Amino acid sequence: MSILTAKRADMCYCPGCSHGMVLEQLGKALDGIGVPPSRVCIVSDIGCIGTADRYFSCHTFHGLHGRSITYAEGIKRRNPELLVVVLIGDGGCGIGTAHLVHAARRRADIKVIVCNNFNFGMTGGQHSPTTPMDAHTTTTPDGAADQPLDVCRTVAVNGAAYSARHDAFDPQMVTKLRDALSTPGFVLLDIWELCTAYFVPANRLNRSSLDALSIQLAMPFGVVHEGPVQLGATSHNGARPLRRRAPEAPVEEMVARIPWPGRREICVAGSAGQRVRSAVGIIGEIAVAGGLYAAQQDDFPITVRRGFSISNLIVSNEPIRYTGLDSPDTVVILSSDGLARFGPLSRLKPSSLVVAPADMPPADAASTVHILDLKMLERRAGKESVALAALTYALIKAGLVSAASLNTSANALPAGPYRQSNLDAIIEGITLAENGRSAVDQAPP
Amino acid sequence: MREFITGNQAVVRGALRAGCNYFAGYPITPASSILSDMVNAFAAGAGIAIQTEDEIAAIGQCIGAAMTGAKALTASSGPGLSLYSENIGLAQMGEVPLVIVNCQRMGPATGGATATGEGDVLFARHVTAGGYPLPVLAAADAASAYWLTYEAFNIAERLRTPVIVLLSKDISLTRQTVDLAAVPLSQRTDRPVASLDATYQPYNITGPDDTPLFSPIGGSQLVRFTGSIHDENGLLTTDRTKISRKLTHLRDKIMSHGEILAYVEWDCDADATTLIISYGLADGAARDAVKALRAGGAAVSHMTLYSLWPVPERAITDALSPRIERVVIPELNIGLYADELRRVIRHVPVQSIVRFDGGVISPQVIGEHVTCIGDLAMQAREVCACPS
Repeated sequence: MSILTAKRADMCYCPGCSHGMVLEQLGKALDGIGVPPSRVCIVSDIGCIGTADRYFSCHTFHGLHGRSITYAEGIKRRNPELLVVVLIGDGGCGIGTAHLVHAARRRADIKVIVCNNFNFGMTGGQHSPTTPMDAHTTTTPDGAADQPLDVCRTVAVNGAAYSARHDAFDPQMVTKLRDALSTPGFVLLDIWELCTAYFVPANRLNRSSLDALSIQLAMPFGVVHEGPVQLGATSHNGARPLRRRAPEAPVEEMVARIPWPGRREICVAGSAGQRVRSAVGIIGEIAVAGGLYAAQQDDFPITVRRGFSISNLIVSNEPIRYTGLDSPDTVVILSSDGLARFGPLSRLKPSSLVVAPADMPPADAASTVHILDLKMLERRAGKESVALAALTYALIKAGLVSAASLNTSANALPAGPYRQSNLDAIIEGITLAENGRSAVDQAPP
Repeated sequence: MREFITGNQAVVRGALRAGCNYFAGYPITPASSILSDMVNAFAAGAGIAIQTEDEIAAIGQCIGAAMTGAKALTASSGPGLSLYSENIGLAQMGEVPLVIVNCQRMGPATGGATATGEGDVLFARHVTAGGYPLPVLAAADAASAYWLTYEAFNIAERLRTPVIVLLSKDISLTRQTVDLAAVPLSQRTDRPVASLDATYQPYNITGPDDTPLFSPIGGSQLVRFTGSIHDENGLLTTDRTKISRKLTHLRDKIMSHGEILAYVEWDCDADATTLIISYGLADGAARDAVKALRAGGAAVSHMTLYSLWPVPERAITDALSPRIERVVIPELNIGLYADELRRVIRHVPVQSIVRFDGGVISPQVIGEHVTCIGDLAMQAREVCACPS
């Protein structure tokens, strides 16, 4: 029994339409390559040719207009043993051009049969991306003005293993289809057809003038591209091996719980590149490991490496439900960008503590301000460590955590590429807070 | 083991726990880390993850893969959900198990890529043409992002339907303290599979709320999949009886399972005259507000909705004890879900607290509104918490 279960006369196509003939030849080609129907999936696009899946006895998938290639790729990736054939029209190649090009680039192992009749038949003869220049359609009554899309060359220059153009009346079509279906990699056949409902009567196209059209458009029939076969990710189960990121170490619970006064909101306001978010994250990890609850919320512009970078941390003895910051208890200012984004310090509670750099002492703070010589800190600890050292300094100065407790907890940080530099930064912050070196305390105004 | 992870990381963990083995996505803030984490999770071959040329290809590949038997996930933000739209309809019509995570951001179009907002709560339900229902879940924090993603897979498998899980930027990217091992999960569910049978019909159902038995594309029995209106064999039909049967089924298989899809948490005080109903990011503030109000001697009830669609109507009406005089709902949008509540709750006023500027609603704002008494406060339809 053939994989094609309908006779041409019983198909839904208009008299003289090439679709039925091409489907018959495709059926013979599929029968000829000897793949059982349960190992074939035909994915049909939308349009007249999109009705073809029902005439085949194999796995069939009929989805949305222009997206047939995406379903075919998903199916092939998951089931590399399947022969996946896409039946698409010239319209589908327009709305789905992106998928066509990218599937070729990915060297998806799918076989794309373009049933190209130069216009939209199902919807009434509108122009399509392959409509020849000057051709008449219902939406180009004075002749088409646009360059027709060469689908064969488009996929050829973008990774296809094989592309060829044939006219639907080619006596060798079955052999050519069979060869194409047997070629590994991304394969595309552009089959030129007659739409007897619209394009043929409007443009006096017939079987013999297809040759003239081919010459006129400089799109010759035959093999357009045959390259070395390189299979993409669809040919095996999964993407190419990636350089894996270091696995995230779960936070180990410490034995000693960090003594903590209650819900406290901490804000570090700096600039991109100051490692603000990672500094706050490390303190959050230490808090969680120490039996506390933490929530970290960052605020940054859509671009990276410039502009403000604000990171907020809430630490509490209880689960944190509300993760917003209304009135931070501790604010660390690291740059003018950060301060500008944070806004006026005058809105802070009198009990709040502000740490600010020596070159931008805040005039508007109603709370305790500690001035920190960031430049000196940078020289001593390194630029990458300033945020974490300053935050550590602030936590101790604010009386939130003792130097001893923080030191013990920090030493229990899991192994990682930055463990030692983080520890050094925390110790630098502790030293600063304990002996006041390079830091000048300023009483509230 | 307690961990310090983002809502997006919790989504990935929930998906992997549920058996997700296919991911396709396109980068977008604030959902991108789900894409990169899935690529890393599957790098050794435990599944397939791919970055596609756009969101349309992402969901298209997921649908194709799901019909070969994969448990597929895609994740994006509002702009990407817009591009998923047509294919979500395909997944409904073709009855494809599929989980879609939408990490919401502020406003329409590009909106505020790094600002929070929860304006997609109606869009998620009405995301595609035709008007047929699909389950929509809303995470309130990292822990619920974990278990809701897990449950979304179970729902998707059991009912063969796309399921949308909503997060928002401040849930997606906020690191929170969670102990995933301590989060209770239901038993893992796989789609009902057809036995090998020469007469397999891919869309055969015994009743409108039944789920058709699955057989994979590529398996030994032939599968016919279509997004067009079809009969039990997956063939196009113009038979009104068959059309009605199919479309009634698309409605009923979701709506008749409304009770099992209703994830809510009810914190009841029998003396309460105010019921606060919250979901998403505003839920944490509502919980803190309730705690503070009770500490101040006020009686207040609270319900968290983790399921937005189908609307958990029975749970909501059950919470409306005779003493309840008003319902208050804080939302990070222009008051979208309040109107849904007004449809369900007819005899007492539903008052909105809204904010949509990228900021959050604080517990204080909710508390002040609840303690505000007098005719004006009781009759207020909406309070805006945006800075004026």
